Amino acid sequence: MPLLKDGNLVGEDAWLSVADDAPLPEDRPALISHARWQADKEQLVGRNAPVGIRLPNTVDVLDFGPEAGRFDLIVLEFPKFSDGRAYSQARLLRERFGFGGELRATGHVLQDQLWHMQRCGFDAFEIAREDATQAFAAAMRSFSHVYQPTGDGRVSALKQRLAATRKQEAAE
Amino acid sequence: MYQYDQIDQTLVDERVAQFRDQVARRLNGAISEDEFKPLRLQNGLYLQLHAYMLRIAIPYGTLSSRQLRALAQIGCKYDRGWGHFTTRQNLQYNWIRLEDAADALADLAKVQMHAIQTSGNCIRNTTTDQFAGAAHDEIEDPRVWCEIIRQWSTFHPEFSFLPRKFKIAVTGSPNDRAAVRVHDIGLRMHRNAAGETGFEVIVGGGLGRTPFIGKTIRDFLPRQHLLSYLEAILRVYNQFGRRDNIYKARIKILVHEIGIETIRDKIEAEWQAIRDGALKLPQEAIDQIAAHFAPPAFETLLGGVAPEYANAFRTDFEFGLWARRNTFKHKQPGYSIVTISLKKEGEPPGDMKAEQMLAVADLADRYSFSEIRVTHEQNLVLPHVKQSDLPALFKALKAYDLATPNVGLASDIIACPGLDYCALANARSIPIAQQIALRFKNWERAHDIGELKIKISGCINACGHHHVGHIGILGVDKNGEEFYQLTLGGSADQDAALGDILGPALDTAQTVDAIDSLVETYLRLRRNSDERFLDTYRRVGLQPFKEAIYAAA
Amino acid sequence: MAKAPKLKDQAHIVTANHLTSGDVVYLTVRNDWSRDIAAAFVAPNAEAAAAWLAEAEAQAARNIVVAPYLVPVDAGTTLPWPIQFRERIRAAGPTTEKAAGGVA
Ligand code: HEM
Ligand code: SF4
Repeated sequence: MPLLKDGNLVGEDAWLSVADDAPLPEDRPALISHARWQADKEQLVGRNAPVGIRLPNTVDVLDFGPEAGRFDLIVLEFPKFSDGRAYSQARLLRERFGFGGELRATGHVLQDQLWHMQRCGFDAFEIAREDATQAFAAAMRSFSHVYQPTGDGRVSALKQRLAATRKQEAAE
Repeated sequence: MYQYDQIDQTLVDERVAQFRDQVARRLNGAISEDEFKPLRLQNGLYLQLHAYMLRIAIPYGTLSSRQLRALAQIGCKYDRGWGHFTTRQNLQYNWIRLEDAADALADLAKVQMHAIQTSGNCIRNTTTDQFAGAAHDEIEDPRVWCEIIRQWSTFHPEFSFLPRKFKIAVTGSPNDRAAVRVHDIGLRMHRNAAGETGFEVIVGGGLGRTPFIGKTIRDFLPRQHLLSYLEAILRVYNQFGRRDNIYKARIKILVHEIGIETIRDKIEAEWQAIRDGALKLPQEAIDQIAAHFAPPAFETLLGGVAPEYANAFRTDFEFGLWARRNTFKHKQPGYSIVTISLKKEGEPPGDMKAEQMLAVADLADRYSFSEIRVTHEQNLVLPHVKQSDLPALFKALKAYDLATPNVGLASDIIACPGLDYCALANARSIPIAQQIALRFKNWERAHDIGELKIKISGCINACGHHHVGHIGILGVDKNGEEFYQLTLGGSADQDAALGDILGPALDTAQTVDAIDSLVETYLRLRRNSDERFLDTYRRVGLQPFKEAIYAAA
Repeated sequence: MAKAPKLKDQAHIVTANHLTSGDVVYLTVRNDWSRDIAAAFVAPNAEAAAAWLAEAEAQAARNIVVAPYLVPVDAGTTLPWPIQFRERIRAAGPTTEKAAGGVA
């Protein structure tokens, strides 16, 4: 499955997805399940190589969030494109808990969702398309403005308008 | 009225371009129906019983004459010369071709309109009081807040794939004309002890298969926190609302299952974390939006009745009837609010021909500062008419069959499209409405009966609000035949209540007769002519009505 | 579409909506589509109906029509006439139609 990071194709995923009963590789970034993290927490915190986690969309991020900083990658799931729970998880991780690592969308990821996903803080996407980079580039051109402030740094329409009137007033 | 700036216009134009590309990909086979369906639904394009149906958003029910003209033109160019106004203050075209859909949306965008979020599991068009900005009993103009909500909810990245659709309604008056207690979120403006205006926040109302009256989650929310509070509610719902069963996915079920206390705790906790963040509304931003809704240039008229008006009232009996039923008190002395009934007895409720739309657009230019409103009861409103102009307006409306004096009466029926158009229906709604309305064509009887709200849905989804009708009519399928179940005593107003089931379902002819018998029973039992059907029902209960319908059988 | 009937062993026709226009159409004996229910080919039993639906689905996959399904019809009449009330309205158009040229 093609993997996009910041809009570019990643040739080979550096992360090794590890089954719950398999040993973790010593020297390679390992991606584990939330269940394994819950079970083997003590053991895992001492590890040197980076750890990533797959978070089911039923996990309450308010519980998990304080631990988010321990991970370099968090993978959030879209079992169906219409199941939008991970959008809220993503925003909470980025905006409430300050997660700064890679936030990856997996599952039923479609071109027309990419715009929303990156607005919510995703920066990596597993997307089943040959033309993944073009699809991403097209999706990023969807809209020139936004109405909502999110953690993505875009200036909302409301703030743009306020800035414009303030500038105008200053000029007068 | 709100006018788009460059930002709003660009977004709507970009949306049309995006949809045009999606339609092109569908028509050339690049995407399948399964992939396309959610995309077309996000642009209001359904496949109905007969054809594609396009639902246009009329934000909080407000139209300019220019927009209404465009709706008429689009109706002629791409449809069959008419449109259908719905209980959600929207407009539906029933016969749109897929290959024309993007062109129709492009024509709409030219007059600052769109079909964004008129379908799908997202935040839908926010609805409000059709008399907003004009009503004498208003605390504050709710359109300002509807527009603020419109912008916040449009293309909201976090809330575009909710468990289910989400509807918000706002009222700025204690007399609720927006049915706020039967919406996912209802916002009722009121004043606190310090005299500041804010919102009572109500959640978990709704009709459909499992109707609920909404519960108050917060008594008073200061205005600057509106968006952060909405965001907190939606964030909790998006994560914890059920997704395993489409019939249990609305927020009303979440509220019901986990309880209002638990959901309040979650929402308040979430709100505490974001209330002073980027969504907090600076007063300047509120003022900027409010400036769009500044009152029009009313003339300063003296109190008292305009002579033209008084004269017509005395000499023209029909005018008197109409003025009594179809006008409402304006806050500006010398002005009235006029409701244009789209319920001429025997016509499909809410349907409007293009010629009628054009005529109303002209009349709005002449008599109402070019403004028109759409009501959730499927009528139109001219919000600012000088009382001295009422006789002339009445004559002009009459020429287009638009002066039926029946607002709030038995023939002012709400009906969903039903089996004539809707792929989900069990039974027809419109023909029942037509037949009932004809029974109450006699003005003397209709006016004697007084306020009576009859609401008809063709299936349990309740698009026709039958649960909150004084008389509700629900279409059911009984071995392939159309049957109707009656409910009594519902209300969507400030005294919101769900109706009680009268008894076994009836066939079409029995149903129309039954409405007559219910009304006769009421007339017999009422204390005086001031006691409305609903009041009598509340006083005497179901039994006498039940006997009237079923005892003979 | 929501309530496709269980396939009883009886006569059926196939209906769908035309992709570009959205019009209600029926599959004819020539394997093309007509707006007129009178032109619909009647599959006499369940087995024939299933095969007939498969043909329609192939045409849906080729983006000619959308959402094809079977409609049980009364085989005793000269013209195929649906048994379900809903399908009769679908064939004849809204019963409230008032605009000119309304009924397809
Ligand atoms: C013709 C195509 C339509 C379809 C397929 C449709 C479908 C539905 C469905 C499935 C529901 C139930 C949602 C739920 O409970 O989760 C619903 C509710 C509703 N619809 Fe429609 N509807 C249609 C037309 C209309 C029209 C024309 C109106 C306005 C007259 C309307 C207004 C409403 C309202 C007010 C509700 C109930 C309030 C609530 O959401 O709780 N719908 N609709
Ligand atoms: S109530 Fe039922 S029949 Fe009426 S429009 Fe809604 S879904 Fe269709």
